[in-house]
Amino acid sequence: MRYALLILLFLAPGLARAQAEALENPGAVSAIQERQYRMHHELLLGVGVLPDDAFYKGLVGTVSYTYHFSDTFAWQVGRGTYSYNVQTGLRRQLERDFEVAPTASAYEEQVQWMVGSDLMWSPLYGKLAVLNNKVLHFEAFLLGGGSVVKINRADGFRPAANVGLGMRLFKGDTVSFRLDVTNNVVFTGTRNINNVLSVQLGTAFNFGATE
Amino acid sequence: MNPRSLVAALASAALLVSPAPAAAQSSGGALPMPPPPAGAQRPAGGATTPSAPAASGKPAGAQAAPPATAANGKPAAEGDKPAAEGEAAPKKPDAAAEAAPAAPKKVENAVFDKALQDYFDGDPRAAAGPLYAWLQQAPKTDENYAWGQYFLARSLIDLGLSHAGATYLSRIARERTNPNVIPRALDSLKQLTDRPHDEVMIDEQVFGALDLGFLPEETGAYAHYQQGLVDLRVGNERWANTHFAKLSETSAEASRAKFALLVTRLKSVKEPSEELITDFLGLSKDEKLTREARNEAALAVARLRYERKDYTGALEAYNLVKLPELDPGRASLYLEEAWTRYKLGELRASMGILTTLDAPVFRDEFLPDKYLLRALIYRDLCHYLPAKRAAKELTRRFADSLEAVRSREDLTQDARLRRAADAHGGTQRAARFMELLDSESERLGRYAGSFGDQLFAHLVKMYALSRAEAVRVHDARLAEAVRQEADTLLRAAEQVRLMEYEVGLKLYERVKKGAKVVPPEDEQELSPAQVAFRFSGEYWNDELKSYRVRIESRCIEETP
Repeated sequence: MRYALLILLFLAPGLARAQAEALENPGAVSAIQERQYRMHHELLLGVGVLPDDAFYKGLVGTVSYTYHFSDTFAWQVGRGTYSYNVQTGLRRQLERDFEVAPTASAYEEQVQWMVGSDLMWSPLYGKLAVLNNKVLHFEAFLLGGGSVVKINRADGFRPAANVGLGMRLFKGDTVSFRLDVTNNVVFTGTRNINNVLSVQLGTAFNFGATE
Repeated sequence: MNPRSLVAALASAALLVSPAPAAAQSSGGALPMPPPPAGAQRPAGGATTPSAPAASGKPAGAQAAPPATAANGKPAAEGDKPAAEGEAAPKKPDAAAEAAPAAPKKVENAVFDKALQDYFDGDPRAAAGPLYAWLQQAPKTDENYAWGQYFLARSLIDLGLSHAGATYLSRIARERTNPNVIPRALDSLKQLTDRPHDEVMIDEQVFGALDLGFLPEETGAYAHYQQGLVDLRVGNERWANTHFAKLSETSAEASRAKFALLVTRLKSVKEPSEELITDFLGLSKDEKLTREARNEAALAVARLRYERKDYTGALEAYNLVKLPELDPGRASLYLEEAWTRYKLGELRASMGILTTLDAPVFRDEFLPDKYLLRALIYRDLCHYLPAKRAAKELTRRFADSLEAVRSREDLTQDARLRRAADAHGGTQRAARFMELLDSESERLGRYAGSFGDQLFAHLVKMYALSRAEAVRVHDARLAEAVRQEADTLLRAAEQVRLMEYEVGLKLYERVKKGAKVVPPEDEQELSPAQVAFRFSGEYWNDELKSYRVRIESRCIEETP
């Protein structure tokens, strides 16, 4: 009982202050705006890199189509990525100076192309001021889905799980720019997995958005 | 808003309607000009390069036919002047040396050609001094005299001395020594009316007094419009209509003339008719008008509907006002919309607009009504303490001005009232013209070296005289305008006192037994297409029109 009274005693000034504040400045203000940019059918053309393999770097080009069910939820129905692979200096140095070849599997796990599908969730929508004279709108999203990855083998089709995040900067009703950072977890063998990180920038064209 | 203030606002709006920038006069060969000297480049500052005129159309160039008067020196009138100064000199040698301008020296006609060459080479700074020197000694009957004035004016305008340029252009229009130059001068003058300018010199003495027969269509239309406006101002609508009738139906001037006519008619009618409102509504969608003019027409519709208690219609008209992206808009517009929403019972939306009016961009606006309206909303929602505080805020914020009114001080010295008076109507235009003169006088100092003593001294004197006149005009308008602002303030202060009394009674009113709190209004849910940004004191221009206040009513429902 004594403790309860003590707690009440400590809480009382705070509650009184909150009540006085509410009495003096009643109400809460919000800016309610029509969402300026809304996506519907999205066609993405992107370029990027597969940066994380020590023996090669992939320069990728991506095409994808996304259907937006709402402002926060979308299905990237299909995406296709082709990778043009470039050997790294490390690999050349190993082969030339030390005559040491990396394991065969290292060559064979190079990604040639991949296709997949993802679900996208965009919980963040916001705006930022540029030099105090322009307002840019953006959204941030998470995505997750599955892929089929073609690696550098004769029977090189491998399943993969894809997760990632991204940000979209709206340029207008029909054009926006997307930055995607994703990781495909490629199941290369029964016990082996290979992480294929991808960073890409793209231009998204939006069709059929309603006001 | 009372009918008097409505008419005053609309009349001020009508005068504010600025003409659209005039398209540059085509140089299609219709208007002959002196040929640019050989090797001349494009003209500086947008003056059109004349196509090589036919020999018959070419004004007598200095090389081709030097004027007779130029050969034998100065004209008699000018020749007398230095002699008179010479007599005065022995009496007050020092003062005379300072005050009297140097006697014009004989200037060769080649100087005119060289100055023209400089102008067309894009060097107006080098052209101005010699042109002035040449004009000083050339007789006014010289065929190139008006061209000299014209290119001196263009050079000065290109150098940012628009008032000095306008003075020379006005002289061309008034003196009419060369009919070929006049349309070009008027065209340049018309363009200058888009910025602060000497209204008496340009609007009244030039465009308001022109013989309109010889003018090209576009300039003629503008002159007809100006002359019609002058007639309207003196209350002669019939004469104004004679001028307006000559405007092409599809011209922008016709639309502006219609707006001016409608505003004038408003003054004479007690109850504005639906037809009048429809006419304003038509103008608010007239693409020939500038956006500002269309907005003024939309505001007129909104104000008239408000007066007729058609609040929904008034809101629709406010929505017709279109602003550039991220433009904060006008405080008076927000306040009027807030009153309209208040009358419609949309207290929270009205309070949201009042939040907008607290934005830094509107902090210096003179809006005593704002505090009154806020107090009224709080009172209606039974938040009596905030209502009382909002009411007191008016008397606190305007304490100095109210004290100045009560003690019958010179109201033009009250900074707040002065700023309010300077913010609109004729006083604003006069204040802007004064600012323009100040900035151009300052700019003139930069050219002290390149203009030469004669032109520099002449322009310094011209700006000093113009400024003195501008100050006189501004002060006269200010005296009347501050009185009106003081009236507005006093009316608001009066209502606030009543409000304070009323709220004081309510504060200590006893709640009867069985009384219940009024059930809260259903909050409007956000639609999927909407997004909400919680306001935390940081104003974003794109949000200024979107604030909504969530506030509960604390009123008690009396049970029978």
